[in-house]
Amino acid sequence: MSRFMLSRRQMLQSAAVGFGNLAFSAMLAEESSAAQNPLAPKTPHHTPRAKRIIFLFMKGGPSHIDTFDYKPALERDAGKPLPFAKPRVTFAPTGNLLASPWKFKKYGESGIEVSDLFPHVAQSVDDLCIINSLHGTNSAHGGALLKLHTGSDSFVRPSMGAWVNYGLGTENENLPGFITICPTLAHGGVNNWGSAFLPAPFQGTPIGNASVPAVEAKVRHIIGRHASTQLQRKQLDLLAEMNREHLQATGPNAELEGRIQSFELAFRMQTAMPEIQDLKSETAETLALYGLDDPVTENFGRQCLLARRFAERGVRFVQVTHSDAFVQWDQHSDLQKGHEKNAREVDKPIAGLLKDLKRRGLLQDTLVLWGGEFGRTPTAQGNNGRDHNPEGFTMWMAGGGVKAGTKYGATDEYGYYALENKVHIHDLHATLLHLMGLDHERLTYRYAGRDFRLTDIAGRVAEGVLG
Amino acid sequence: MTRFACLAASLLAFQLIGTTTLLGDEPSQDDINFFEKHIRPLLVNHCYECHSEQADDIGGNLLLDRKAGWEEGGDLGPAIIPGNPEKSLLIRAVRYVECDLQMPPSGKLSDEELKALEEWIERGAPDPRTEEKRTAKPPTIDIESGRQHWAFQPLSSPTLPQVQDASWPQSPIDYFVLAGLEANHLQPAPPADKRTLIRRATFDLTGLPPTSEEVHAFLADESPDAFARLVDRLLASPHYGERWGRHWLDVARYADSNGLDENIAHGNAWRYRDWVVSAFNQDLSFSDFVAWQIAGDLLPAEDESRRREQLIATGFLVLGPKVLAESDEQKMRMDIVDEQIDTVGRSLLGLTLGCARCHDHKFDPIPTSDYYALAGVFCSTRTMETYKRIARWYEHSMPTPEEQELQRRHLQSIEAKKSEIETVVQAANEQLLSMLESGAPLPQDAESKYPEETKTKLKTLRDEVAKLEKSPPEVSSAMGVTEGEVADVAVHIRGSHLNLGDVVPRRFPQVLTTHDSSLLPADQSGRLQLAQWMTDPAHPLTRRVFVNRLWRWRFGEGVVPSTDNFGLLGEKPTNLPLLDFLAQRLIDEDGSVKAMHRLMMLSSTYQMSGQFNAQAANIDPTNRLLWRRTPQRLEAESVRDSLLFVSQKLDSKMGGSLLHVKNREFLFDHTSKDQTKYDHRQRSLYLPVIRNNVYDALELFDFPDPAVLNGDRATTTVAPQALFLMNSEVAWDAMLHMAEGLLADNDLSDRTRVTTLYETTLGRPADDREIDRALAFVGQYASDYVGETSQHDVRRHAWRALCLAVIASNEFIYIK
Repeated sequence: MSRFMLSRRQMLQSAAVGFGNLAFSAMLAEESSAAQNPLAPKTPHHTPRAKRIIFLFMKGGPSHIDTFDYKPALERDAGKPLPFAKPRVTFAPTGNLLASPWKFKKYGESGIEVSDLFPHVAQSVDDLCIINSLHGTNSAHGGALLKLHTGSDSFVRPSMGAWVNYGLGTENENLPGFITICPTLAHGGVNNWGSAFLPAPFQGTPIGNASVPAVEAKVRHIIGRHASTQLQRKQLDLLAEMNREHLQATGPNAELEGRIQSFELAFRMQTAMPEIQDLKSETAETLALYGLDDPVTENFGRQCLLARRFAERGVRFVQVTHSDAFVQWDQHSDLQKGHEKNAREVDKPIAGLLKDLKRRGLLQDTLVLWGGEFGRTPTAQGNNGRDHNPEGFTMWMAGGGVKAGTKYGATDEYGYYALENKVHIHDLHATLLHLMGLDHERLTYRYAGRDFRLTDIAGRVAEGVLG
Repeated sequence: MTRFACLAASLLAFQLIGTTTLLGDEPSQDDINFFEKHIRPLLVNHCYECHSEQADDIGGNLLLDRKAGWEEGGDLGPAIIPGNPEKSLLIRAVRYVECDLQMPPSGKLSDEELKALEEWIERGAPDPRTEEKRTAKPPTIDIESGRQHWAFQPLSSPTLPQVQDASWPQSPIDYFVLAGLEANHLQPAPPADKRTLIRRATFDLTGLPPTSEEVHAFLADESPDAFARLVDRLLASPHYGERWGRHWLDVARYADSNGLDENIAHGNAWRYRDWVVSAFNQDLSFSDFVAWQIAGDLLPAEDESRRREQLIATGFLVLGPKVLAESDEQKMRMDIVDEQIDTVGRSLLGLTLGCARCHDHKFDPIPTSDYYALAGVFCSTRTMETYKRIARWYEHSMPTPEEQELQRRHLQSIEAKKSEIETVVQAANEQLLSMLESGAPLPQDAESKYPEETKTKLKTLRDEVAKLEKSPPEVSSAMGVTEGEVADVAVHIRGSHLNLGDVVPRRFPQVLTTHDSSLLPADQSGRLQLAQWMTDPAHPLTRRVFVNRLWRWRFGEGVVPSTDNFGLLGEKPTNLPLLDFLAQRLIDEDGSVKAMHRLMMLSSTYQMSGQFNAQAANIDPTNRLLWRRTPQRLEAESVRDSLLFVSQKLDSKMGGSLLHVKNREFLFDHTSKDQTKYDHRQRSLYLPVIRNNVYDALELFDFPDPAVLNGDRATTTVAPQALFLMNSEVAWDAMLHMAEGLLADNDLSDRTRVTTLYETTLGRPADDREIDRALAFVGQYASDYVGETSQHDVRRHAWRALCLAVIASNEFIYIK
């Protein structure tokens, strides 16, 4: 699909400069139609409730029954066998019911129970809409991550951030529309923020990866190498002059023009990115709010604070991943030790993010989503662990357009299967898109002979979570 | 769709009961009242959204808005057995006890509602609703009219069209192109100059720029066949296979790692890659090229080395990404088969066969039964060694003579140890016997009575045998397929392996075959027949699809622009006679791809300049008719390779593996530690292609996602490309090397240095103005330089900055 140029319109449709429309501003002015740039803001299908998404992804599968889905029966019947059948396909064999090592308390005006793992987030429980009835189809990390991020656990499909970017474009012309901070490279890796068959400008831009401390995470090649910026400017001036002469000789060609502009944009990005990642303009109070003053919470706190900084600059979809170098939230054994460590690292930063967004007035049109690729079994693996459970688990939302201070859906009395108001991953996607003003059935892209959707042929908006 | 699980086995039984259950009696008024009061509202509230005529997409094809709907049933058969709630699918679904059959999907009904449904069915499911069975049956595919689609028609043998300007054509293809231009009142652009031609042809056939010596030699050659000889020289270069083999690897979704969920190394994939390169270099006939990849293991081989090649070629079928940790092994099996069907369909036939997995193809005349007929072929083929987590793909073991010798010696040493054991045991037994009464039998536990010394010796020997047996010498192996257990496959209703329909005999798509002509032998998978069928000269698709790819890779757009889709939703050919002429020519040339290159390149069409023409641009803005040469951006590999080539850093070593991770080991495990390494200097083709983490220098410049086939790479212009050229280590190191090369010869003047730079990179000398500008830049850069470093270093930095500007320029990156 090498674009045969000439038509500016076609050029703009196909070969847009990845990080925004500035590069095309001149041409766009002539075209007088911003819609030609794939990343230019687009009109949603209906009035959106949220303008942007921050997805706090807990890699490994945090246990719902030990966090946000309180099951008194589990304590009562601990040690007994599960009184109904386990799924046809399980990841690993499990034994009898295992009580949660943590106590649950009621919080806020809503009185929703949250376990002792999340005392800080619990303070904001009245801002949360806790969905207890998520379910997926895949019991292995790779499949489940792909399902959650792309809607497919079998094929390479565009990620949800790419779909949102494709549907809505981005508001900041100097930044990518989809940024993923310290993503995991395992279990789908780049597919989890890729654009697959959607045009490349919609893909996520990774900042570092899960094996890099957030403080060192950078966009690739963002650091200039010349002894001074002025020297680089000189070089780019020379390059621009050569390119203009070349263009003169070649005749009108939007692709070549676009390439000239792409160097200018790259040069500007080089300044913009480090500025956003430099936290010195933040007050000590804010840094503390996110836990940046404590080595335990510093890393994830920085990721959350960066998420806010990108969100307030108009980045449409920001993903923050918690994925340590050990087994993440994947406690097949030592549930207590592992979950306690993980929760300590994220609880305060997440609570800080929620409070900070709220006091800045950003929470009302920012949708925060929290969760992992699946939950964990109420039955024990070994004597102190839990296996993967995609049959019923919890995610929560806060902010833009969700019914705050509520729970939606339910699992059975032990938390194995989603039962009431079940929300499949496809339904979650439909709901996210709906909140962003997009109809999941109308957000399609034609590829290899058919129209593809994030929700494939499924998906229902979970009306009950809408505020 | 897995919600319908656990039912496949009992499905047939239900159908039998369902169709034979008849209720003779009219429902009583009481029954009707019960229905209206309890059942109708329940169905309306909880079921109609998906199971009524009003639903956008009727769930499981089951209608619950009419009596006939549940009687007839959906994909799973009748939903209700009147009088028997226990056996009614509907009841089983609403009880929510079976893992994969739970309705309504949004949550369980209340106990009262459940009871009402049960009571209703016990009453015989009285239902006063009389709507017709179904107003609109889903349309069935009409194979006969499907055959009328242009791509399914036999190849024509087009004659050369009449043209007005008979002096322009040099090659038959020029007649087809010129006729198209003339019909639209367009004229071809004038011929390109020789510098442009050699640069274009060299990049085209080798992916590298010409050296300045090559340019000068070509300029000096004034013979009329200078260009023809240039093309021959380039086709004979081993770099030709590296360039055109890589094109095919896009279509073969080649990768050195699995990607998807468990990103482990395809440690032997490189053999397939090297085979593809050598197939192009050897000019393997197109038929063999295709047939070996589908069924190389089943075809006779001339000799042992051919046989190895043929086995390696079947790697094509194994290279796809697989969900190797899929807990549901049957699902994994069918997903892998699906990937194979999709790849074979799109790469070789231009058909999106994969669309027919869950339902009849919505656009092409490919019913689901055709899909499963073909699935039978691949299910009868062994692709996997095991489906157990983490699943292992199959590999052909192909020891080299040296490795065979090692194997022999290894077995020998095991045998030697074993006979030593034997000897020791025998001796010890004899000794034992000699100590017993004569004639006494050897005790049962003789060994325990051996002297300690003997026991120790035996243990050592046995340990040694065990150790040897555990560590056979590593032998070469290659990803590939072999025959499996031959069986036909049942239609998977809605794509679910838990929901099986009729078994379909293995055969090829009906729209492309005559009735039953393609039924396959019971004792073979059918892959051999598939290969024969696809490479048959009468096949309407295989060669059309391939020559179209060649055209796309050369001119930037296919005659059929949708290179991987020749179906009804694909684009129509812009010049069908041209396409058929090319396909026919491929047959006439005995499948020689090199002959096709000559045909295309020794044409006026190929040798046109890129001269712009406003009038032509108005008539044909996208240049589909080829009124000029469109500038083409270098492809990802060429960007990197030429960068290294012009800075004399490229290592021209061919083939082999640069993967530093062992076969089946993780490239990425859960720790996200990046195991990939790309700091090699060989051509990009040889760098490991790691799914989920393609080398960014390539990915940025539109290297396609290696998990899916792609015959039509995109060309995007994104800012990160600029960042890469401006700031990457690769570019900086190469340019420093280049600057140092230019500065090394103290006798050169700076003016000559600039000219050399231009000659090496752009294939032309710099003019005086360009030299002045370059030198002014170098001077200014050096004088503005800040930081502690020597004069010499500053000069190197300044020249590096100049070199980088030149290779980042559009003139370098775009081929005229």
